[in-house]
Amino acid sequence: MSDKVSFKINGESVTVPKGTTVMQAAQQMKIAIPHFCWHPGLSVAGVCRFCLVKVEGRPKLEIACNLQAVDGMEIRTDTEEVKDAHKWALEFHLINHPLDCPICDQAGECGLQNYYMSVGKYQSQMDRPKVLKPKALDVGGDLVLDTERCILCSRCVRFEKEVTKTDALGIFDRGDHAIIGTYPGKKISHNYTTNLVDICPVGAFTSKDFRFKQRVWFLEEKPSTCAGCSTGCQVDVFGKEQTGTYYRLKPREGEANGHWMCDYGRGTYRHLNQEERQRFAFVNDRGSRRDVDFNEAIAVLAKKLKHTKADDVAILVSAQYTNEEYEALFDFFVGKIGVKKVYQWREPTEKLSDFDGLLLRGDRNANTAGLLAAMKLHKVGGDKPMNQHEDVAKSGAKLVIALVPEIPTGFPSLKTHLLGLSELEFVSFWSVNGLIDDLKQARHVIPLKGFAEKRGTFTNHAGKDGHLTTPFNCPVPDARCIVETVSALAEVYSRAH
Amino acid sequence: MGNTTDKVKILTAFEGMPNSRALSTYTSKGGYDALKKVLKMQPAQIIEEVKQSGLRGRGGAGFPTGLKWSFVPQNLPGPRYLVCNNDEGEPGTFKDRYIAELSPHMIVEGMVIAAKAIGACKGYIYTRYEFFEEIHWLETAIKEAYQAGFLGKNIQGSGFDFDLDHYTGAGAYICGEETGLISSLEGKKGQPKLKPPFPAVSGYLGRPTVVNNTETFAAVPWIMTNGAAAYKAIGTEKSPGTKLFSIAGAIKKPGVYELPLGYSFEKLLNDDCGGMLPGRTLKACIPGGASAPVLTPEELKGLTLDYEAIAAKGSMLGSGAVMIIDDRQSMVELMKVIADFYHHESCGQCTPCREGTGWLANIMGGIWEKQGAESDVDRMWTVAKQMGGRTICALSDAAAMPTMAITKKFGDEIREYIRRGTSA
Repeated sequence: MSDKVSFKINGESVTVPKGTTVMQAAQQMKIAIPHFCWHPGLSVAGVCRFCLVKVEGRPKLEIACNLQAVDGMEIRTDTEEVKDAHKWALEFHLINHPLDCPICDQAGECGLQNYYMSVGKYQSQMDRPKVLKPKALDVGGDLVLDTERCILCSRCVRFEKEVTKTDALGIFDRGDHAIIGTYPGKKISHNYTTNLVDICPVGAFTSKDFRFKQRVWFLEEKPSTCAGCSTGCQVDVFGKEQTGTYYRLKPREGEANGHWMCDYGRGTYRHLNQEERQRFAFVNDRGSRRDVDFNEAIAVLAKKLKHTKADDVAILVSAQYTNEEYEALFDFFVGKIGVKKVYQWREPTEKLSDFDGLLLRGDRNANTAGLLAAMKLHKVGGDKPMNQHEDVAKSGAKLVIALVPEIPTGFPSLKTHLLGLSELEFVSFWSVNGLIDDLKQARHVIPLKGFAEKRGTFTNHAGKDGHLTTPFNCPVPDARCIVETVSALAEVYSRAH
Repeated sequence: MGNTTDKVKILTAFEGMPNSRALSTYTSKGGYDALKKVLKMQPAQIIEEVKQSGLRGRGGAGFPTGLKWSFVPQNLPGPRYLVCNNDEGEPGTFKDRYIAELSPHMIVEGMVIAAKAIGACKGYIYTRYEFFEEIHWLETAIKEAYQAGFLGKNIQGSGFDFDLDHYTGAGAYICGEETGLISSLEGKKGQPKLKPPFPAVSGYLGRPTVVNNTETFAAVPWIMTNGAAAYKAIGTEKSPGTKLFSIAGAIKKPGVYELPLGYSFEKLLNDDCGGMLPGRTLKACIPGGASAPVLTPEELKGLTLDYEAIAAKGSMLGSGAVMIIDDRQSMVELMKVIADFYHHESCGQCTPCREGTGWLANIMGGIWEKQGAESDVDRMWTVAKQMGGRTICALSDAAAMPTMAITKKFGDEIREYIRRGTSA
């Protein structure tokens, strides 16, 4: 028996592995079959009854999500009967829906709205009072629940059962009075709550963090890789370049993360916003701090470097930068200048082996693997791969180039470290976040671009590369990535005397 | 409660007999003889005999019983289960409880035979919550059967083991749907399960499971004793055997009647039941429980009570609950009761049923409160039409079918009510 089956959808032939459903095959073929309850990352519920298709030779329409493809089957999704069924399925979903789109955060990315435009466009026949249900419930985590908008697709219930295995949600009561809810006295409490906002096809679950901040159609959406830990989830960054504001991260289906993303990772857009950023370069002669432009900051550093012996220079590197940046950094400092003191900047409390079983890893750096590889290539860092920042102080270095960890939330000791380092003789801090800005003793600071504003790659825990391909315009005009910074420095250095 | 006729008595054999529920009464009339015979047979022989008898499921769908049993995979290791659906809840139906009242051992014996046929190790009788006495009678029968060696280990020295328990539902109509019942039996919310997989492959606790109606099981001992041919000789070609009909309404002698399938409706009404109450005339009849489409006197003319004849009239035999509607009955009220019932009982999983049953009850509520528009009648028909054949279980159809029939056949009466604010 063959382990493949061949069949047709709308006359188009396809061969798929045995056991594939018509819905899965249609997804591969980019044939849109409207659906609410089906989700590729969850079990089949078969309850929304939206994905009805015609199987030639069978009397009743059948749901594509629970229909296994068999050899010779002919499926139609485009007949008048099917179109009418889709229209009605949508109307059933909408009769008790409050239609409060103008005040709903889901507007613009709502299944009900989108399907109304693609398969609906009917005149509503509902002229009776609607069923009223509880609204604006705080059910824990990042979640606000509006049970009136809910279409009871049960995706969230299945997510809690199958993905987080917390079983925190259930459907209570029955019929058109059924509501989604948590158990009495209990709330949802885990690190994956915002996934419920993503998988909710309507505005029943909205995000406390994001709601009412911005209409989604005003946002730019750019693919990226989460910099929050060594898993390297594929994400989309949502921001508004016009105002230089970032709003949220959402998972994009990828090998590293499947369909999901953790709440911790979702929060790693906040440091990119202006109020959290290192917004200017400055030099400080201990008593006279001056904001300078990028070029002047580079000139000061180049001069300092020129007048410091290579043995007295140390580099302290966080594992949150890209492979390309490490390459440029080591190429110049190690290869050209001859610096030997290279240290990793690690969080002392980190437990690298930690893993929550889903996505989040104890290594809260996106590119530990990449940094280690670059250090090995340039034969720096010695036998001890995990040197702490204290080693820098003990090393007696007179000039330290410090690549500050970009994301402060993954680095609880960062403030203490910065304070300690700022008291050394001369540390040039290169930083995305603005934590260094308040430290009176800091001698030299250069603002950097964040992960969403540059191109490059991270290598995750499994050795797979995650790409940063589509940068946002950086809201900090003087910020550069490390490649650009090093390149400018090398240029000025070569002319300095 | 029952009404004696001169027809063949299979399910009502113990009607009128004193102490009919006792094991001693049952065995004195050949009870458990069928089981003793069956214990020496091969499972395939038993299934074949039931197939040959033409017995069809008496829960409402009329699916061939032997065929259902044959779907259980024979060579799969691990437990298989057998469930008796005694959650009799179809409005108008009161026939299964009558079997439990007359001869609960007939149900037990039928189940042990079925267990032997499908290789089940454990069975449950699932009875609706409100049947307090029936539950007691069934539990007593199970206890007696254990004591007499008809249940438990090594039944009658045959080496066959089968345990049987009673389980009381919590009163939801949907738990009478076979996979809803299984969910409930598993301790879950009573919601039907998505098919495939079917219960014969993956049912109770994910194991092969056969669920049959009480009346179906009760017919099995007679078939095994008297042979498939004798059973097939009763009734019609495609609807063999006898069936219990629970008939109610403005008639002289309501009650449960055991009749050969294919029996004349007019004979049942006028002869067996003594006709309409004085001064009442027949306005309509629902022939198979609330979900069966209503039939008009025109359609009832010459009707025989079997699966095919009733289906040919656009309705169904269903559970055999014959509801006689007389001229004083308002179809508006009837429609409202039906709409409210299905709205209340929809489990809410599938959108067309959850929203559709609510919508129908909502529109009907408006009509009832004299806020309706004449166009509501057609709208109800249209909504009901879209609810049919689109859901996991048949509850949506069960709500849609009577709605379509009533709004179509008695639409004028409803429109009249909307116009004048009263039933004609």
